[in-house]
Amino acid sequence: MLTLILRRLGTAIPTLFGVIFLSFVLMRAAPGGPFDGERPLDPATRAALTKAYGLDLPIHEQFGRYLTRVAQGDFGPSLVYRDFTVTDLVAKGLPISLTLGALALLLALALGIGSGLVGATHAARWPDKIIGMGATILTALPSFVTAPLLVLVFGLSLGWLPVSGWNDGGLPNVILPVIALALPYAGAISKLTRAGLASALAEDHVRTARARGLAPMTVLFRHALRPALVPVASYVGPAAAGLLTGAVVIETVFALPGLGRYFVQGALNRDYPLVLGVVTLYAGLIILFNLLADLAYGWLDPRARG
Amino acid sequence: MNRPLTLVAVIVAAAVLGPLLLPWPYDVIDWGAVRGAPSLSHPLGTDSVGRDLLARTLVGTRVTLSVATAAALVALVIGVAWGAVAGWVGGKTDEVMMRVVDGLYALPFMFVVILLMVVFGRSILLVFLGIGAVEWLTMARVVRGQVIQLKQRPFIIAAEAAGAPPRAILIGHILPNVAGVATAYLLLTVPQVVMVESFLSFLGLGVQEPLTSLGILVKEGADDMDLSPLGLLVPGGILVTVLVCLTLAGEKLRDRFSA
Amino acid sequence: MSVYAVENLCVAIDGVSIVENISFTIAAGECVALVGESGSGKSLSCMTPFGLSPGVATGSVMLGGTELCGLDERALRPLRAAGVGFVFQQPLTALTPHLKVGAQLMEAAMQAGAPKPARRDFIAMLDRVGLPRAHEKLDQYPHQLSGGQRQRVMIAAATAHNPQLLIADEPTTALDASLRHEVMDLIDRLRAEQGLAVLLVSHDLATVRGHANRVVVMQHGLMVESGPADILLAQPQHKYTQALVAAVPLLDGPAPHLPAVGAPLLAASDMTVTFPRAGWRRGRFVAVDGATLTVAAGEALALVGESGSGKSTLGRAIARLGPCDVGSVTWMGEMLPERARMTRDHRRLIQPVFQDPVASLDPRWRVADIIAEPIKHLMPDMSKGERDARVAAALMDVELSLDMADRRPKALSGGQAQRVAIARALIAQPQMLLLDEATSALDVLVAAQIVALLQRLQRERGLAILAITHDLALARQLCHRIAVMDAGHIVEIGKAEDVITSPAHPVTQRLVMASRR
Repeated sequence: MLTLILRRLGTAIPTLFGVIFLSFVLMRAAPGGPFDGERPLDPATRAALTKAYGLDLPIHEQFGRYLTRVAQGDFGPSLVYRDFTVTDLVAKGLPISLTLGALALLLALALGIGSGLVGATHAARWPDKIIGMGATILTALPSFVTAPLLVLVFGLSLGWLPVSGWNDGGLPNVILPVIALALPYAGAISKLTRAGLASALAEDHVRTARARGLAPMTVLFRHALRPALVPVASYVGPAAAGLLTGAVVIETVFALPGLGRYFVQGALNRDYPLVLGVVTLYAGLIILFNLLADLAYGWLDPRARG
Repeated sequence: MNRPLTLVAVIVAAAVLGPLLLPWPYDVIDWGAVRGAPSLSHPLGTDSVGRDLLARTLVGTRVTLSVATAAALVALVIGVAWGAVAGWVGGKTDEVMMRVVDGLYALPFMFVVILLMVVFGRSILLVFLGIGAVEWLTMARVVRGQVIQLKQRPFIIAAEAAGAPPRAILIGHILPNVAGVATAYLLLTVPQVVMVESFLSFLGLGVQEPLTSLGILVKEGADDMDLSPLGLLVPGGILVTVLVCLTLAGEKLRDRFSA
Repeated sequence: MSVYAVENLCVAIDGVSIVENISFTIAAGECVALVGESGSGKSLSCMTPFGLSPGVATGSVMLGGTELCGLDERALRPLRAAGVGFVFQQPLTALTPHLKVGAQLMEAAMQAGAPKPARRDFIAMLDRVGLPRAHEKLDQYPHQLSGGQRQRVMIAAATAHNPQLLIADEPTTALDASLRHEVMDLIDRLRAEQGLAVLLVSHDLATVRGHANRVVVMQHGLMVESGPADILLAQPQHKYTQALVAAVPLLDGPAPHLPAVGAPLLAASDMTVTFPRAGWRRGRFVAVDGATLTVAAGEALALVGESGSGKSTLGRAIARLGPCDVGSVTWMGEMLPERARMTRDHRRLIQPVFQDPVASLDPRWRVADIIAEPIKHLMPDMSKGERDARVAAALMDVELSLDMADRRPKALSGGQAQRVAIARALIAQPQMLLLDEATSALDVLVAAQIVALLQRLQRERGLAILAITHDLALARQLCHRIAVMDAGHIVEIGKAEDVITSPAHPVTQRLVMASRR
């Protein structure tokens, strides 16, 4: 198990470094800078700004300076939101994005594993078929289609829930975004659980358990479920990454002040420090999620502990 | 008969031939018919600058599907080549090549694509190159796994004993046996790419006006949905149908070959 | 008074009849063996009455006075929990991978409603099945035990609730030959101690002999013969049983007629093969350690050992079809180059036949193309017409009809597939065959036919053979000499008769003991 984690970290650190390096180089290689606005700046202001942000230094020195500051948790000032540092913006946006993502992940796991279990216990009968079909459709339904549809039905037509806004995370404001974000992942997890259970229930050791005359629920939960969840565990890492990405759209549709919106704004306005900061942060988070998924994997299957 | 693929074929045919048959081009602005309700001449109505929505939907479908197909093919070529080499050569080469894939997997890749779009400006070419360059990772992993499994099969060793040079083994035995799985994942990659392209377009980072795509149409439909839900439902419906059908067909093929 | 009585049992799956009219009874302390080839319906007839197969059982099956046929899952469950224990073929997959041995024993002991046992009871359970250091084993997961230990745990769990009947479905097939009789002896002992009735399912008459009181022979879902084991095996009445009995090679049957041996052909010396250890541990695992052997023209040498002894690795290293770290191979005095530098002329010398006939053939190729592959590469100048003629001749050589040529491997039976593999090995007219467990994946009767084919080819063509096998009796049928391997070393080498009649090394003695019963 320890070697697995060390191995992960061995890949993670170069990856993190690569992300920082790549995004840094790409942004610097970009045509046009943050001061190429519609109203040209006078040369003196421009020079002062360039110097203040360290844009006149050789590129490797800029990278070196950036890396040192990143290591201290300082991503520098935002170029577009002039009164804020990137760290300020992250501190404002990240809790919202994380809340959204975490709730959506929990919902997706609950819905997915639950429906997968129902499907497996009704194999080849109508609940199984409906759940299977529904899961495939959910997986293929992009959140930027479901989100406006949910708004249309529950917000505009029925008027049950607010159409947009965060309102300090008030429950009515959270419901639609979380559902829209979670549904595709719930579909995928449902399919993985169902397939995992199908193969686990066909395993020899389940036959042994059944031969002992154990109750069907004991066989399902004690003997079949854990191996069946192994594929789900390895999906949680990528799913968490997908939830962070999906949050960008959801935050746009529902006008939530999360990190994703800052990122899009930053990308559209060539706000280097902001974009670099967010990409680095997300890369770090994804690595963390993959690590957690590995730990879950080891718990589910002792053979993987090595 | 494969029903999902038939449905996709119908949609493709409509997207290719449809615009030729319509009286309205997709990009002609008509300030006299802004946000027109569905009528005989505009079956889906018009958008906020009076362009025919049916024509725009068909063209948008065409753009989305061609980007997706091209990007999926890029993913296929890179993925199969990378995976086959890593699996076949093995050892340190494999280790390093797969570490690269692991590393790229850990990238928040949607953000990297957005970065590319921002840096190099928006163009269809870049959209599909960017997406294809990221979507090959799964293909590479799957192909590598298959190749490693095949490599240990006795018929490969028998081929070596039969004097077949490595190139003949790769072309004659390995690739044909990988082809089925690769096709399945190609079918599964297309919806992935459709999703990413639409996602980018939705955020305003994909293809540019006056050209359109399903993602842009969904976005525009969502903006105007309180006036007419048709603008959201039709492109959204086509998008979802394509995604569901390709996913179903791909999964069916994958299950057949992995069994 | 019988514990288990089966009368006119029929099994159907989805309305298709698979097993018909099986009848037998087992008394307390008695062992009845169901014998037949794969697909004969023997496992199905044991599992279906207990609701453990997709089939439906009709007829009458009485377990200690209770009729099982016609009961639904709800009614069968408590009967399974109380009255019967099961042992399956694959002890690794039959135990739940994420539960410790202790937890699984606890579940088994309590399945019939007994109170929670103490830890020392578990230790006693494991002691009874002959598992040493029981207190450590309780806290281990199944994958941390060896194959034989797992099967002992499986047996302990299957008998923990003191059932009347033990159903053992191929309990020794996945184990090494020398372990087989130990496990069967254990089952015999429990039978005697607890008055357990045992229903043994096996394809292997050698396992049945000496352990079963009575034998029921099945073929294509029908019972062809049944009776007391010693009488039935000594004087089989039915044609099929006779063929089965005759197909089992015996260690002390009449000596086979082997062709004369010629001049020295191949010499392998100081062969060493290592593999990197799994994980990130340093060092390498030594699979073959300084092995030396020779084979003469027309001579057959058997490389015998238990699984993991390195015999396959050595065979492949000699044929230059696997890795080799140190050591040289000479062919009629000339050095064979390393694996990557083997030329056409070198490759023509030795051709392999592998264990799994289906995996040996590319599923996407036609039989004719599979057989022609060696001549395509090794004799590239041959015309298409001559190639086709050669393929046809090769098919006839292995007693396959010419219309097989257009089939794909999927459409072949195991025996046919192995014949195709042999035809491919022979078509370039090699001087030596490498047989890597070439018959051990086949049913007994088919295996006997393949052995007969190999004997004919050996006689007619003067082929040298390097036969890798775990089966001494098979080695004796085909080979002049036997080399015994253990842990990467060749521990004994000599004339086949000498090795079998007076084995010197403990491993050889164990192998001989295992094959003799």
